[in-house]
Parts: sequence; C-alpha cells; structure tokens
Amino acid sequence: MSDPGTRWTVPDPARLATLIRLRAVRMVAPQGFGYLGQALSSAEEVAALFAVARPGVDRMVCSPGHYVIAFYAAAAGTGLLPDEALAGYGQDGSALEAIGSERTPVLDYVCGSLGQGLSAAAGFALSDRLRGREARTFALVSDGELEEGQVWEAAMFAAHHRLAALTVLLDANNSQVDGPVDSITTIEPIAAKWAAFGWATAEVDGHSITAVIAALTEAAERSTRPAVVICRTSTRRGLDCLPPDADGHFIKLPADLAAAAERELTARLERADA
Amino acid sequence: MREPPYPVALKPYGQALVELARRRPEVVCLSGDLTRQCEVDLFQAEFPDRFIQCGMAEANMLGVAGALARCGHLPFVHTFGVFATRRPLDQIISAIGYPRLPVRIIGFMPGISSPGGPSHQAIDDVALMRAVPGMTVLDVADAIEVRQVCTAIADLPGPVYVRLKRGEVPVIFGDDHVLSLHRAQVLSRGGDVALFASGMMLAPALAAARVLGGHGVAVSVVNVPVLKPLDTSTVLDVATAARAVITAENHLVSGGLGTAIAETLAEAGLGRPVRRMGLRDTYAEGACSAEYLFGRYGLSAQSIVTAAWQAVGQAGPVPEVHLPAADPGEYAPV
Repeated sequence: MSDPGTRWTVPDPARLATLIRLRAVRMVAPQGFGYLGQALSSAEEVAALFAVARPGVDRMVCSPGHYVIAFYAAAAGTGLLPDEALAGYGQDGSALEAIGSERTPVLDYVCGSLGQGLSAAAGFALSDRLRGREARTFALVSDGELEEGQVWEAAMFAAHHRLAALTVLLDANNSQVDGPVDSITTIEPIAAKWAAFGWATAEVDGHSITAVIAALTEAAERSTRPAVVICRTSTRRGLDCLPPDADGHFIKLPADLAAAAERELTARLERADA
Repeated sequence: MREPPYPVALKPYGQALVELARRRPEVVCLSGDLTRQCEVDLFQAEFPDRFIQCGMAEANMLGVAGALARCGHLPFVHTFGVFATRRPLDQIISAIGYPRLPVRIIGFMPGISSPGGPSHQAIDDVALMRAVPGMTVLDVADAIEVRQVCTAIADLPGPVYVRLKRGEVPVIFGDDHVLSLHRAQVLSRGGDVALFASGMMLAPALAAARVLGGHGVAVSVVNVPVLKPLDTSTVLDVATAARAVITAENHLVSGGLGTAIAETLAEAGLGRPVRRMGLRDTYAEGACSAEYLFGRYGLSAQSIVTAAWQAVGQAGPVPEVHLPAADPGEYAPV
C-alpha cells in the first residue's frame, strides 16, 4: 500500500463499508462458511483506514490474518483489485488465501500467527524515522490478540522509542474461537492498559464511520506518542438476516442465508445511491 | 594452523560488525539487553543512531527486525543463542523465514560453552534453525573466521543464523585462512577416519586427530562452518575415502551436524559406520566451568579418540590424550 504509485480513492467511506460487507458475503458464500464476522466487525474501520491513509505513502498492517477478507473486499471496492479476483478467495491455487500470507496482494504486512503485527508495524515506523521518511503506519489489531504477550512487548517498545507515526486500530469485537473474549480472558480495561503503556488512547463506536475517521485523523496529528483507537464492534453488525446465535469467529452461510444477505446489502446500496 | 594452547582474541565479532557498518550504511544493530555480552557495545558507541535497544523482548525484536529488513535495512540481531531461537521461533518463521528476509540472527554462547545451566545452554539452536526453510546456519571455529563472518554473510539472500562463542575466542587458523560459505575445509587427509567438526569442536577434533595419527589411525579432519546448506560433495568425497565417520558438535546429536552428515551419507547410499559426538537426548547442567561440562558430556578430545578407535575396530588400549594446559590469555580444548 505504501509502494510508490499505488493509487485509490474513497469518495464515500460509509458506502465502502457496505461494499466490504457485500463482497465478504460473496467471498464466503461458495464455501458456505468463513471469516465473515471479521469483515462485519471491521467494515467501518477498514473503510476509514482506506479513507485516511495516503496511497503510496502510508503503511497498512493487518495483524490478525483472518481479517484479510475485509482488505480484499476494500481493495476491490476501491479499484486496487479487480472484482473477479475475489472469486479466488480461499480457493486452491489462489493468492487470495483465507488467512493472509506473503502472497496477499494488498497491505504492507499481514500475519497469520496472531499477535505479531504490531512488532512489524513498529519496525516500519522505526525504519521511516531512520530514513527521515514522512509516513504513518496504521495497524489493525484484534482484541483477542491482546492475550498474546508479544503485543505488549511491541506496545512498550513503540512507546519507549516514541514512534508517534504509529496508529493502532483495535477491533474490540469481543469474539474469539472459544467464545466471547471476556469469557476467555479478562482484557479490560483496554484503554487504561494502553495508556499505562504510554500510548494516546481513544475509544469510539467502531461502526460509526465518522467517529472512526475522526479518531484516526486526530491520532495522526499527535506528534509525540503512538496512538490506539479502540473500536467497539460486533461480528454480526450490518447484516440483519444473520441469526442472533451466529458464531462470529466463523460464520456459517448456507445458500439461502447467502442469498438473503446479498439481497439485504444490495438493497442498502441502492437506497444509499438513490 | 596454530598449535594449542591457542592465543585468544577479544571481541572479534563486535569489531568486525563495526567495520562492516562503516562500509554499509544499511546495517542496523538490534540488541536484547545483552549488548556488551554480544560485543555490540562497540557498534552502539560508534553508531548510536543505528543501534536499536529492544530490551528483554525477543519475540518483538525478531518481528521488528523482519520489518526493518522488508524496508531495505540489513538487521543484525543479538542475544544469547537460547533466547535467539527457542523463545521467538514462531516469530523467526513467520516474520523472517517465510518471507525469506535478510535478517542476521547472532546467537552467542553455543551449546554447553555456558556453565549457566539448561536455561542458558543453546544445545538445540542449530536443529531449530536448520528446520527453517531458506535459513543459512553457521557455527564458526575461531577468531580468524569470526572476523570474516559479518562481511561473508552480508549479501547472502535470505536469513542467516550464526552461533558464536562468547568471551575469549581462540585463534586456531593462520592469518591467511579464508572462511568459505560454500566449501567445507579439509584440514588433513587420512584413510581411516573422516572426522567432521564445527564451531568449538574443531579444537578438540584437531587434538584427537593428532593423537590418533600417532597411534596408526589416519584421520581426515574437516572444518564445517556452514551447517546449512551443507557442502555435501566434500562430505561425500572425504567419507568415501574413510572406513568410519565421526561427527563432533557442541549441540544435541539430533538435528545438527551429525544429523546433516548422516542424511548426506544415507541419501548418497554411502554405507559407513557413523559415530555422532554431542549431547544425546539430554539436557546438561549448571556448573562452574565449560571445561567440566565438555568433559562430562563427551565433547572432549578423549571422547573423540575413543569413538574413532572403536569405530575402526583398532586393537589394543585406547590411546590417552594429554593436552597442554592453557595459561591465562590462552585457550586449550578439553
């Protein structure tokens, strides 16, 4: 994303969030299950990221590789990837692997093994400072990843080295494999933890596109400390047809439900365009 | 080649890295709270802006190093071998190995050279790093090789792991010795035993070969500083000419030099009895001296002589090894 010459535009971030949901549904539908919940919880965050990041300059890291579906969708929604490429999502021989990898065609870095992305983001920010390169590094991190010790190693490192060009978007969707994060490990109070580690913090409704964009913009204006924007989200948000007991980490999407999701999201786009 | 007891050099690595960094502005140095111990206090003093203190957080340090390499820097990462390989293995694989980034991981205190007990003894680092696809793995023998290692690996594609003796480093080779990353070096030729040694085991291997030669067992001694990719042609060439093969490594016999040599012989269909000298499915222990541990865990010249004697079925009592004692400022193998 920071490669010189990379170009995209986001004329309507709210519409991009809906496009991310629609394309994620289409990517998951052929197999009937997948990481749709991650796209639903992060749709506004990823849309805001594409709206705020400067193409060809700023760096974008996706720490939880399962979220890469949202970045594929956003890339198609902004013209970085042809729409047809999304048909390869998770298929044999395709570079659009379901869990991000070195073959991932968008992003500066994506990890498959959780909890590692913030270290890479810190490395990018450090490199830019060593080189005198004026760029920001944005890292999407998930709340479940806060259980990994490396995240806090990286958080201490970034604050100690005053990597002010680093901004974390923390998707606090309270979802991990075995259930709600707060039933597995108590990670709250999230903001107080980051603040204690020396970070500037903001906490927003992660489904309010204007709130996320405003928080990212404000974070970018800070000059002395790295910043974290904690986005409170849900893995079922923005898709009313999902049953209330859907497993947000790995949503099942049989054909009838996929068709209903397609209708719902297409109608929403048409209403927005009307 | 010098004779034991060997003179010693201090901080040959730290000086060599500084010299490389003077020529190569892309070199950056990362340290995990072991800066003087890894000799990079010299780098920190001369290039404070390119020195990155990562603290006691190896997982993060390797992740940062991977990103720096991705941006075109040439990161040299420093800590003890145990903390460089065991703790951040997933980070090495995910952030460095899989993307094949040119990070140089320097692990000090190989094997049981540390008397600090199992927590500080890197007896499995070579095995772990050999298992990383695309990783080059080095275990260099003396200060002459250490002085060349930074320049030698600077432009290798992909990641490199180097294990280095800490503190006083023996000077075994002559000043004209050239460290090769492509050829294992045959230091003597003998038709009875092919003796392959790496790192700190070169000195006892040379001593063992001298004793064996004096008792009618002719030994080829091969210095193997590059454990991966292994120079299989030299291995097969020397092993073919011998009746038995001995490997000597300051490491577990599983996954390191002995395994690599045995794999090479087996894949070539070359049948030779192989005796692997090293730790055998065991942890070592804390002690006062490395010399005690090398003796206790079979990493002595005497152990090599005994193994070679038995491997070739030599009659008569096993010759005894008597090594010169080292004065302060000298190094002698056990």
